[in-house]
Amino acid sequence: MAEPLVRMENIRKSYGRVQALVDANFHVNEKEIVGLLGDNGAGKSTLIKVLSGAVPLTSGDIFIRGKKVDLRSTSDAIAHGIETIYQDSALVTQLSIARNLFLGREPIKPPRFLNRMDQEAMNVVARDLLKQVGISKDIPPTTPIGSLSGGERQAVAIARAMHFDSDLIILDEPTNNLGVAETQGVLSFVRSARDSGHSCIFIAHNIHHVFQVVDRIVVMRRGKVVADDIDPKNTNVAEVERIITGMSDKEIRDAIVQGKQPQG
Amino acid sequence: MENSSIIQRSIARPEFGPFVLLVVELAVFWGFNHDFLSPQNISNILAFTVELGLIALAMTLLMTSGEFDLSVGSLFGFSPVLMWTLFNSGLTSLEAGFVLALLVAAFIGLVNGWFVTQLKIPSFLVTLGMLLVVRGTALFVTSGFPQRTWSAEGSWLAEALVGDFFIGPFRIYMSLFWFIAAAIALGYVLTQSRTGNWIQAAGGNPNAARARGVNVSGVKIGLFILSSIMASLAGVISSLRTSAANPNSGTGYELEVIAMVVIGGTALTGGRGTIIGTVLGILILRVMRNGIVLIGVPGLAYNIFIGAIILGMMALHSWLERRHQAGT
Repeated sequence: MAEPLVRMENIRKSYGRVQALVDANFHVNEKEIVGLLGDNGAGKSTLIKVLSGAVPLTSGDIFIRGKKVDLRSTSDAIAHGIETIYQDSALVTQLSIARNLFLGREPIKPPRFLNRMDQEAMNVVARDLLKQVGISKDIPPTTPIGSLSGGERQAVAIARAMHFDSDLIILDEPTNNLGVAETQGVLSFVRSARDSGHSCIFIAHNIHHVFQVVDRIVVMRRGKVVADDIDPKNTNVAEVERIITGMSDKEIRDAIVQGKQPQG
Repeated sequence: MENSSIIQRSIARPEFGPFVLLVVELAVFWGFNHDFLSPQNISNILAFTVELGLIALAMTLLMTSGEFDLSVGSLFGFSPVLMWTLFNSGLTSLEAGFVLALLVAAFIGLVNGWFVTQLKIPSFLVTLGMLLVVRGTALFVTSGFPQRTWSAEGSWLAEALVGDFFIGPFRIYMSLFWFIAAAIALGYVLTQSRTGNWIQAAGGNPNAARARGVNVSGVKIGLFILSSIMASLAGVISSLRTSAANPNSGTGYELEVIAMVVIGGTALTGGRGTIIGTVLGILILRVMRNGIVLIGVPGLAYNIFIGAIILGMMALHSWLERRHQAGT
């Protein structure tokens, strides 16, 4: 079998005495959308933070295309082609779409010593990218991010990852607080990212959104990966919920009933 | 249709409010006293305007990056004291003293920036501490007395910084050209250059900027250094023009400079800044100071007007910001 794009082996991460990750093993293949699921505190956020360079791991190894890497910072991860998109933190709301897309890698107009950004080139690329990720409205690339909707911001962040050839795009709760139409928009950006050769990790509380878009589901519980090969076509939401909670159908029903009792 | 959208866009710009206010101010003062727009009065306003203005220009960039500097007023007083002390004691020439004063200012800016970015202490506290250190040093070195300054006559440095000449009836100081050059250069940096994009990103969302590989700390330290150097330069210019180096001069300038910058439309919280707005803000406050005296309002009432302008402009900017966020 081909070497996966990213492989994480025996990842441990502890915060003081709390073990957030306990020998977690995880991988993402080329051109694959992986849905990462788990209850609150299951360890998905920590796993993603380790992979995006935001927190250092306590022990374990990370391989990219079979090569061991050391991800010490988010810039390290970006340099290795791993881009993480958080709901709100990835963009500067005061800057325009084009300036956000190129932040940190702005093209310079000659002569170079004037350090002048090539704003026309940035606008042309930005306009193209916005079309590519399927923003249907005609939004000029000079529009500040602050006046875009949540879904459009996600689209801009995804467009940026695609343009700079990130191999792996991590989406942390990209559909939170979005309306139905916007959610469908974001899911279609994710599909178009895969279709153009990128891999994605998709984290969402709403399992239905995950089912609509991913190729494979990975479930975490108490810092461990407890299932990593669930095909969304051969299962259903109830089955996955059972794996997430680690309870049987009857236990889940009982928990719901117990939860309701105090109100009744 | 096209015309109305151009008008709408101009109104939505942060510089629009300050521009209107300045025009109204000029019209009102001129209405009360026609001497207000006399060549002599205009020359007077311009001479002092550029000295505070130089500091405000640098402060605009610093505030856009999300920080501010309260130590500028103390540097305004300290740098000329240092330069004249070195010169009067025969240690250096006036020019070498000037360069040394700027280097010391740069070092002070570096220390400010280092405390803020590396020790993560808010710039309010760091620069407040630095204000006291610098002002205290100026007072200690001079025992509180002004320095002897009359020997600058004929020095090329004095000519280059504050030499004056007449264009028609207007008396123009060289410092006006330094101010215009600084405004153009910093306006270019903020709006056209890659560094400007980093400055705005550092103030708007430092985590996002850092994640894109922008050296946020480096940008901020650089701007603290710029702010200190400009305050020092302004202090030296003022001292050469007025032939005085008083260790107490510049007291309270920090707040006046910050007021100029925010009135012009730069966000106190960072992320958004405008040099054109700051130039308008500088003119609004200086014209106000000059105008109310000229129309016979007691000079001591100045602060009432300044406070009212700040409150009014903040209300306007916040209203525009909300409209902007709503996408209208």
